[in-house]
Amino acid sequence: MEIKLLTEHYQDDQYRTLPGYKAKGGYETLSKAFKMKPEEIVNEVKASGLRGRGGAGFPTGMKWSFLPNNGETRYLLCNADEGEPCTFKDRMMMERAPHQLIEGMIISAFAINSPKSYIYIRGEYVYAAKVVKKAIDEAYEAGFLGKNIMGTGFTHDMDIYLGAGAYICGEETGMISSLEGLKGQPKLKPPFPAVQGYLKKPTIVNNVETLAAVKYIIRDGAAAYKKYGSEKSPGTKLFSVAGDVNKPGNYELPLGYKMIDLINNECGGMKNGKKLKAVIPGGTSAPILNAAEVEKATLDYECLAQMGTMLGSGSIVIMDETRCMVDMLKVISHFYHHESCGQCTPCREGTGWLSKLVNGIFEGKAQLKDIDLLCEVANKMKGKTICALSDAAALPVLGIVPKFRDEFEFYIREGYSKIKGKSHGQMHH
Amino acid sequence: MFELSAEGKEFVKSELKRYETIESAIIPSLYRVQKENDGWVSDEAIAHLSQLMNIPEARINEVFHFYTMFNKKPVGKYHVQVCCNVACAMAGTREMTDEFLRHFEAEEGEMTRDKKFTFTRVECLGACDKAPMMQINDDYYEDLTTDSAVKLLKDLK
Amino acid sequence: MVKCTINGQPVEVPPGTSIIEAFKMVEQDIAHYCWHPGLSVAGVCRLCMVEIQGNPRLQIACNTAVLEGMVISNQSELVKDAVKWGLDFHLINHPLDCPICDQAGECGLQDQYMKFGRYDSEMGQEKVKKNKVVDLGEKIVLDSERCILCSRCVRFTEEVSKTNELGIFNRGDHSEIGTFDGRPLNNPYAVNTVDICPVGALTSKDFRFRQRVWFLSDKPSICTGCSTGCSVDVYHNKEGLWRVKPRHSEVNGYWMCDHGREIYKSTNVTVTEFVGERDHKKALKKQNRLIEAKFVSKGQSDYRPTVEMLQELKAKIDKTKKLALVLTGQYTVEEYDTLLTYWVSHFCKDSIYHWQNHPEKADEFDGLLIRGDKNPNTQGLKKVLLKHNVTAKKEFSDFSSFDYVIVASPENQWVYDDIHQKALSFNKAQNVVWLSAGLLPEVENMGHNSYFIPVKTFAEKSGTFINFEGREQRFEKVDLFVEQALSLSEMARILDGQPVHLDSVNEVARVQNEFVHLRGQL
Repeated sequence: MEIKLLTEHYQDDQYRTLPGYKAKGGYETLSKAFKMKPEEIVNEVKASGLRGRGGAGFPTGMKWSFLPNNGETRYLLCNADEGEPCTFKDRMMMERAPHQLIEGMIISAFAINSPKSYIYIRGEYVYAAKVVKKAIDEAYEAGFLGKNIMGTGFTHDMDIYLGAGAYICGEETGMISSLEGLKGQPKLKPPFPAVQGYLKKPTIVNNVETLAAVKYIIRDGAAAYKKYGSEKSPGTKLFSVAGDVNKPGNYELPLGYKMIDLINNECGGMKNGKKLKAVIPGGTSAPILNAAEVEKATLDYECLAQMGTMLGSGSIVIMDETRCMVDMLKVISHFYHHESCGQCTPCREGTGWLSKLVNGIFEGKAQLKDIDLLCEVANKMKGKTICALSDAAALPVLGIVPKFRDEFEFYIREGYSKIKGKSHGQMHH
Repeated sequence: MFELSAEGKEFVKSELKRYETIESAIIPSLYRVQKENDGWVSDEAIAHLSQLMNIPEARINEVFHFYTMFNKKPVGKYHVQVCCNVACAMAGTREMTDEFLRHFEAEEGEMTRDKKFTFTRVECLGACDKAPMMQINDDYYEDLTTDSAVKLLKDLK
Repeated sequence: MVKCTINGQPVEVPPGTSIIEAFKMVEQDIAHYCWHPGLSVAGVCRLCMVEIQGNPRLQIACNTAVLEGMVISNQSELVKDAVKWGLDFHLINHPLDCPICDQAGECGLQDQYMKFGRYDSEMGQEKVKKNKVVDLGEKIVLDSERCILCSRCVRFTEEVSKTNELGIFNRGDHSEIGTFDGRPLNNPYAVNTVDICPVGALTSKDFRFRQRVWFLSDKPSICTGCSTGCSVDVYHNKEGLWRVKPRHSEVNGYWMCDHGREIYKSTNVTVTEFVGERDHKKALKKQNRLIEAKFVSKGQSDYRPTVEMLQELKAKIDKTKKLALVLTGQYTVEEYDTLLTYWVSHFCKDSIYHWQNHPEKADEFDGLLIRGDKNPNTQGLKKVLLKHNVTAKKEFSDFSSFDYVIVASPENQWVYDDIHQKALSFNKAQNVVWLSAGLLPEVENMGHNSYFIPVKTFAEKSGTFINFEGREQRFEKVDLFVEQALSLSEMARILDGQPVHLDSVNEVARVQNEFVHLRGQL
């Protein structure tokens, strides 16, 4: 069953405007938050067990508490550079409920005592950026942003920043580099952004959904928020479902929900009555699950980690029996090759190598031993670089190849796809 | 010689003041140049920005080449970017792009002879539930079929 | 101090020391390309991996500070495997063209390959094609396929020269180093990027294809280009000097300027200029007033003609003659001292001149290394003059009343742009004795009343320079290249009638390199 907490009013066309938002109780939580002490808000968020919704799943309250008390200006950055393939929840949240995000951000900024925030939106989301900018202007007009907000003495400025097409800017330090006007290349850690981030100042980077959820944690209290979800993965989460189901789309579900129920119930089952073959559970960087594993999987951080994959950004790609896994890996490997920022050698060279090895299969140049080489290269790319893109490129290989090795062997031996047959032999270059 | 319009220069100047660092104005300024320069950014334009912004050319050029949304050569009136990442590829966008190229006698990434279109395959645009989809200039077009997409493109004036 | 263990060896380092610095302190091998002690930490080559006890993930040594009690190793199988693969990733798109690469012999990639690699590449696919022989400016050529994108050169132009000509354009494995059109890499420190390039991507136009580095020896010396006195290494073989590179020191850190790199040419200019075939040179030679300086490698040279000429002079310049001595700040403290000791005991103190190019610019400084005083030893000269209680004249009015003017002319003549005008002034004397490391066209016009005596350049003698801040810097002879050349000290002793032991080169035949005559002209 969907739980409509964040998405409750998303069908309301007026919800994206200030009057429409206020009609549904908008900015009331902000008044409530201002009556609390900043530490109380931080503690409430900690108590809620909220974990970052962008992909890494790091506990939000703990992240906030890493800020040093050194009197330096603190920045709050909202990561709206939603680039993980097959993820489209943040776009919907910004287009339909920009004030929800803004309110959550003002509360969060108040909690961490930050005078300035940016919403870094991926460049392709032109419409979402327009909606958010308009909402920020409305919020300024209404006195929710700017100097001495609602007479509290708290001052906060907010602006948007538009990216220009680079997946890596979704990595928080890559995003910081980009916002600083540089190439969006991730920065070395340590220092972590909470200590030295944007302009070397203490910085908190949170995902759109995370910041929006803060509003509900403060509105209803941590205990109420924890009623949803599981012990270790409390709350609701938006899942972006795409692929071979009848009703793809965004669904807000309690964490711990059964994956197979999502497919069969919310998504209306497999399209054209085909058989389920595999699911990529958390963005393309998450290792794939085969049909048997999908039966057992629940949508929470722990279960998926146990199954050797991850919840990630909450995007779910459903594949039916007609999908050729060699072809899928080709698309995925091409993506990471295209998006490697080029800084760290193992990723810069490795992503290209992986992609070339997979392409070699289509070009009829591959030998059976290349399958092992593919896995070995992927293995050696793991855990060696500044950011996780190298791992993100390696993990799909290490998921797909062992689970569907027969398809790779068949393709290399016969020169065409085991699934698609001869006619689709060498179509896409 | 490319030069921004008076409003364009004003825009760059205001962006230079808008953020904490002047370098943050590079991306918005490149967008502006692209808008005023038929959809792409030339070396001349970068030299112009360097002078206007007082930022070394190499720094601007690095940013320019890093982000895929800045075009390195002229594009057609309609820049058609077809998503070919997983969900859209599953929905047939690769074949759809092949059909576009055939139908409009185009080469991928190159302007058509009438300068009307440039077709590019791009990575995920975040509209996977509406696959197959494409972006034409700033707008998304979703739930396409090859026929509906070709018709849509043919109807563009 | 912080205590740690590196490969089993207990080590104490100051707080804040990075692991890679600690490895260097105890001279433990650690592979690295992007880290450079004079630049910020990039952490991108991912080769300096170490295993820290208690940490399951390998860490890069350049961005990890040593903490109390850390047990660090780069000898474990895990690290070796990571380095082996790190090297593999570096090599898959590298052209492996060592036989035609100038960096061969001093290449980081080659060194690591010999240690960890020695196997055939597993990459069967086509390599990424990139630009080759890219002209980055007046001094440097880029081969992008050899580049491993360590970003040292880019960081240098950002952080040290602050000139920002270089960038890394595009991303992923299409990334390439480059300049922006119309903004070439021509800053006065540009060639440092060649020095710090760990592979053969950036090469110096002045040095490329001239010598294999394993045929060269290097010796420490001091740069004579200006009063900063950067520490340098001079690369030479029996055919002469080939290049000058900075040596790390307190004076100059890790860098030197590009003008300073030209100083080796003064030694070789001597050769090419003195053996010229111009008519008036022949005439001078007939009058026995031109010593034909020959490169020792030509086999037949010897210093005796120089000594004979000096003895002839000695007979002519007695106390009845009116003499002037002109000194420049390009000789050593020891030379000034010996010469002045001789001079003040024989001749008048009042006719000693200090010739300095652009004294008004002497205090200029570019904020990094380059100083307006283009003499390595102005301070040394002043100190020795003071010691001998001599007030040197700086005005050059009229030399017509002198019988002889003896000019210790500048070794780096090209920085003395008043040399022609001064030559005309000296020429008014009855006789001019040029002590010189080479002839420049302006000086050739001097005519019948001139003597030319070759002097040793910085590479051919030992001595002391005192730099702008009063720092005394001793340097040693690199080698003898022009046998006829003498130091000022040697000349002074000969003129004084003292016994002098002169270096001689005994080998008759030496390897001749056809490029040697082209040095300084290419």
